[in-house]
Parts: sequence; C-alpha cells; structure tokens
Amino acid sequence: MAKHRGRGISAIEYPTGMNQNGDPSQAWIKIKPDGRVDVFSGTSDIGNGSKTIQSQIVAETLGVPYDWITYDNSNTDSSPVCTGTFASRATFVAGNAVLKAARDAREKLLEIASKELEISPDDLDVVEGEVVARGAPQTKISVPEVAAAATWTHGVLITGTGAQLNPYAAIVEPETGKVDLPPHAAISYASCAAEVEVDDETGEVRVERLWQCFDVGRAINPTLVEGQIEGGAVMGLGLAVLEECYPYYPGVEHRGSEFGSYLPPGIENLPQIDTIVIENPSADGPYGAKGISEMANNPQPPAIAAAVFDAVGVWVTELPITPERVLRALERKERGEAGPRRDGKHVVFDEHLSVNSFAHASSPLRFALGA
Amino acid sequence: MKVVGARLPRYDGVAHVTGRTQFVDDVRVYGMLWAKALRSPHHSALIRKLDTSKAEQMTGVHAVVTSRDVPKNVYGHLEALGIPADEPLLADGDVGYKGQPIALVAAESEEAAAAAAEAIEVEYEEREPLLDIRKAGDPDAPKIHQWGNWYPHFEAGLDRRQIRKGDIERAFADADRIVSGVYRPAAIEHVPMEPQTALVVPEASGRLTIYSCTQALYFSMGVVAAHLQWPLNKLKFVGGTVGGGFGGKVDTATETVSALLALKSGRPVKWRWTREEEFLCSSTRAPWHMEIADAVTSDGWILGRKMLTLHDAGAYARFSPYGLTKHSFHHTGAYTIPNLHFDGYVIFTNRVPTTAMRGFGVTSVSFATELHMTRIAHELGLDPFEVRLRNANRIGDTSPNGVVYTDPSTVPTILAIADAIGHELAADYRAMTRDPRQGELLPEHLLAQVGNPEDH
Repeated sequence: MAKHRGRGISAIEYPTGMNQNGDPSQAWIKIKPDGRVDVFSGTSDIGNGSKTIQSQIVAETLGVPYDWITYDNSNTDSSPVCTGTFASRATFVAGNAVLKAARDAREKLLEIASKELEISPDDLDVVEGEVVARGAPQTKISVPEVAAAATWTHGVLITGTGAQLNPYAAIVEPETGKVDLPPHAAISYASCAAEVEVDDETGEVRVERLWQCFDVGRAINPTLVEGQIEGGAVMGLGLAVLEECYPYYPGVEHRGSEFGSYLPPGIENLPQIDTIVIENPSADGPYGAKGISEMANNPQPPAIAAAVFDAVGVWVTELPITPERVLRALERKERGEAGPRRDGKHVVFDEHLSVNSFAHASSPLRFALGA
Repeated sequence: MKVVGARLPRYDGVAHVTGRTQFVDDVRVYGMLWAKALRSPHHSALIRKLDTSKAEQMTGVHAVVTSRDVPKNVYGHLEALGIPADEPLLADGDVGYKGQPIALVAAESEEAAAAAAEAIEVEYEEREPLLDIRKAGDPDAPKIHQWGNWYPHFEAGLDRRQIRKGDIERAFADADRIVSGVYRPAAIEHVPMEPQTALVVPEASGRLTIYSCTQALYFSMGVVAAHLQWPLNKLKFVGGTVGGGFGGKVDTATETVSALLALKSGRPVKWRWTREEEFLCSSTRAPWHMEIADAVTSDGWILGRKMLTLHDAGAYARFSPYGLTKHSFHHTGAYTIPNLHFDGYVIFTNRVPTTAMRGFGVTSVSFATELHMTRIAHELGLDPFEVRLRNANRIGDTSPNGVVYTDPSTVPTILAIADAIGHELAADYRAMTRDPRQGELLPEHLLAQVGNPEDH
C-alpha cells in the first residue's frame, strides 16, 4: 500500500466559431460629442470577458484610450445580432464585427478631422485620442474636438457598423463527410502535461501539477486569457477525477441534487498550474486572435488518465477516474484480467466496456474491429 | 499597438467582485408573480389524464399553462441547419424523461405556485425506459422516440454521421499492429453560478420585456418568437451579463413558458429554478461511448483509424446532431491520419436531454484519441512525445473533411511542454517545426495527403 507518482501528456486542437460556420455577429458604434465611444454588440458576457476584449479591440482600432469606451450588450432593442457566446466565437467572430465597426467609425472620424485640418484623410492617423498629420505631428486635433465639430459644426453623427459572417460550409458528400468550404473560422492548439499522485489503497487520484501550453493566436488581454486557461484547467480536472451526473451510468440512481452530493472541483483540489501562452497569429482573427475558451478544459482529462497509468499501471478509460474505478482496475490487474487481449496483430483493450459485449448480435450498433 | 496585448482591468470586474453586478434574479418589478413547474416523476410514461382545474381555483393562482396554451409547442432550435424538431416546450401526451415540464403555474408566491403545481391531477402509464445506448439497437429495446432510437435525419437520409477517407482496408492490412480501446467520459452538470431564471414583463405597448440569463440573446429571442409565433419587434430581451453558462444557457429553458404565463395573467412573471432543478432537470454534458481501432506501424506511424461513436442525447435531439458532427470533424485530433472510417450515432435515451457544454463534441474525442495515443506509444515501446510529434498535423496536411490545415501549432505546443517539464527529445524531434512536411519527414503513406513532395 503506497502512493505512486505518475506523469502523462496530451496534445489537442479545437475550432473557433460554430462548426460549419454560418453564425453572424454584428456591432455598431456611435461617438458622443466629447469623443467618448459607445459600442453596441449583442454578445452576452457570461463571465468569459468579451466586454473587455471587444472594448480593447475598439479602443485599439479607433486609436483612443480604453476607458473612453462604453460597451452596451444589455438588450436586443439597441444591440444587433450576435449568434451567441458559445463555440469559442466571442473574441474571433464577434471581435471581428466590432473591429469592422471601429474601422468604419474611424473613417468617418477622419473625414471630419480632414475638414477641420484641411488635410486629406489618407494623411491622418489617430494616436491616443488625437488625430495627427502623418509626418507633421505638431499638426493635430483631438478626437473630442473632432466629435464636437461633427456635432455642432457639420451636423453629422459619427457612427460605424460591422458584421462578421463566415459562410456556411455544407456537407456535400454525406457518405464521406466532405465539405465545400472550411468548416471553422480558425483552429487553436494546446498541449498539456499532468502529474498525479495515486493512492493504491484508497484509489484516490490527486492532481499535483499541470503544465499547459496554448497557442492563442494573439493575446488581446494576457491576464484574461491566462485566467481562461487556468479556469479551464480546473474544469478539466473536474471532468477527469470528480464530476458525474450519473454515478451508476447508464443507471439513473443516486443523482447528486446539491453541492456535496455532486462534486465540482473545490479550492482543495487545485494543483499547481504552469501556463505557457504562445502566439502564432491567425490570418483572419482580430489582431491575429483565435478563440481558446472552450478547449481550455479539453487537454487535462487524457493527460491525467495517462499519468494514472504511469503511476499504477492501469488504464482507466471511463471518466471520472474515481477511487472506485481505480481500485476495480487494480483488482482486474491483480486477477490478470486487465488485458489487452492479443490476437495476431490485434491488441484489444477494454473488451468489458465494448458495445460488442452488450449489444445483441443483430444490433446495427456494433464495432467491427477489423477493416 | 498599445491597448491590444495590454493587461487592462476587466471591464466589469470591480462590479463582479463587490457584488454589484445584477443577476436576473436581482430584478424585481411591481406586481410580479412566481412560476413553478409540474414535472414528470417518470423516465418514460404516457399521460392518460391532465386536469388543471383544481390548481386554477387555488388562492393566489393567476395562470396555469399546458401544451394547449403554446401556439407552436414543438420547435427545433436548429431547424435552420436542417435539424428537424422533436421536443415539445411542454409535454404533450407523453413524457420522455424524469423532470420534463408538463404544466406551469403563476401565483403570488413561490409557495402558492408550488402548491398549485402539486394539485394538478395527472395519470401516467409508465413505460420501460431505455437507458443504455449500447442496447439501443437490440430487438427487445423499448422504442422510445418518434424517429426510432437514434437520430435518422443526417444529410441524404443517413442515420449516422460518416467520415470516409483514403483506403481503410489497406491501412489495416499494412499495419504492424491494430490497437483498439473504449473510452467513456461522463455526463456532467454545467453548475452555473445563477440557475436558469427569467422575468417576463408585459408592457403597456403590448410588447414583452424578457430579462434573461441566456448566453445568446438573439438566439433565445428567436426561440421565444417561434413558439409564440410573434415578430421580433414585439420582444425585447434584456441580458448581457449572466452568472455563467458553459453551454447550458443556450437552452432557453425558462423564457418562453414565463412569457406564456405573463400573457395569460397580464402580470410580470418570474421563473427561477432551484439549485435542485438545475442539477436534476437542466440539460447536461452528454455521456459518450467511443471505440477506436488504430492501424499503426512498429515505428509509430498511424496509418488509419476506425471509430464508432455513440452519443447519448437523452430524450430529445436538441443540439446533439450538431455536436456529433463537430465531433466527427475532429476525430483525428491534432494529427494527420490518412485513412479514416468513422460512424457516429445520436442515440435517444430516457434521461434529461444533453446539450452544448464547453468543448461541445470535442472534449470527448480529445479524451479518447489522446489517451489512445499514449496507449499506442506504450504498446510500441516508444516515447509518447515522439509518437505525437511524428504524426502531428503540419501546414499543408488535410483534415478528416479534406480541408487543408493552414496554421497548425501541434508541434510548437508539444515542444513547449517537453521543455517545461524537462523531457529530453532526440535531436530530429527537437528540430521539428509546423512547416510543410518534406524529404525524410514525408512518409510514403502520407504522399496523397500532402500532394506531390516536389511542390514543397
């Protein structure tokens, strides 16, 4: 009876935007008489930080300070369509919509500035809240002055609109799954290593460390993306060793109906987490960004399960890896039933779980191991 | 660039951590009624009788709604994507899972609403439930869904999602070993901070203002409009910041029924689920059953993959066909496997319908394929890093659907993790990049994948 350490790894990928695309997001912007900026977007912020990210994209694109931005996603009367905050799309798809709206508003801002400065808009730039002549930085007018001139002198409302829609990719060959267009907006990548300690007496798996590397394309806000990666790791840990709605799946008995009988990760479960962010910019994401929000809970379960094997020599392929599952796997190993079965070049693991051990011989739901 | 890339404070962070962010349940309006549901106590049953008359007469009760009050009771969230409708907003004639809503009551207090919901008279005829997806195709399996026990409406009338690529027979014939395994991640709850909640206010203008915890304002507005058969301009959704979602708040669980109660009573109505309802009656992440057989060479190339996936959808389709399709598109993970044979089924069972959750469709396949990868490495006596790097997808390789990868980062992320944990790699692996394969790195079995090596 002892505690054993083990390590395992994983490498994963995940798409940005709805599978097969076809999911629009739209935004519009207006500039107040003092140059402050109102952004209207339909993106719900469910804690993912999209208000912050989209405000940063607008501030960067317009050339004004972050704290000049008011972001309104409060209702459908004032905000245009956003398909939703899912499919890792709020930074990439909805972010592209506000980016385009900001470019549009910037163009209109420069038209007014051009009249005020009597310089072609092509020769103007916006830097930290000021419209500056390229090559002659002393010639400038502040964005608040331009906005005031638009309102009181020119009788113009400075606005911008933007929409992002990657066209729907149809499955043109149902037999093979072939699509007529790329079925995603971008793909993000991650790798993970896990270190666990397994108690072979109690079956308990404790995740001690996680190392994670995510290619985020471009970190619009490094603090937020690190938070998303670390938060995702905790959710992945829950998937790997703690959470299940049906403890006797496929049975439905003893469902947890409250905290305490259902176990999401708590602070006592947290491992040391090392996060590495790398940036291979996406060709068409806003400032090169990709979406990594969902995939943040994907790499941990397989790395943890591999680490459990490394520690105690059993493959637990049903999640979560509860103490009961670990102990039963150790018992099977002791009895010499852990497998795999070898038959010619076939190496067959997990026969006790296979559909072939459960389904009637006439069922179409069977797995033919050979070709 | 100064703003993009900066560690700026979260836009609404101070409000969150000082408790000032308004949840939907924080919104109270004058004259507001409370809703409670009558839910199915059975996994599967016919409804022989449904009588709400006693409940309607009870003190403090202002409205009771059943399926008869819904202008369009059966509406499919993804009808626009060709996924037809099967789920009633309120049960009509039978129930397919324990916790399925049958009728809703609006009353002056939650207690009064709960008492009235209990006073609704229902007679059930219980049926044998189907719970194990592995037995859904057995001759004696209960027939539990109007379409059969699995979803039959993929393109061209297929009853499964298929991927076929290359020559799987040849890959299996050429393999030194065929390694197979079974992977079963569990259903889990989303556990959002705020349970499903809506407040619907009938306005003097005839419009409805809907305070919603949805994670998709326009999507949910479209769902309500479809059930009510109303134009969008009669609805105003108010939301924007909610207490977590993780996929479960795409379900539009409370808004439509609360709207029907508000219309029937002429009063604002709030329906907030208890934590117990959130755990037991809200949709979950799906349980998946995945079987993989990989044709591999002794030196660690994956020549082909055969895979069967059974996706436990619960009682109705919801987003499951979408999730399974996404799953199939990613069943090679971060690698290039030239020969593929994938079959996936969306199986109906008498449990709470499953829905989107963080990583929808792919969390499952990442678990299966990555643990399988480690098993292959162990079986062949190879370094699990090196097997991954060898098969890692590269610029110019193609996906299961035949789409060219333009910016895969599998190689750089694996190398970064090897560095982080101090794992030694042989020099040729350490020197690998994500650039197109060429020369010795372009094995014979991948020639058709990446075109003529002369082009690179």
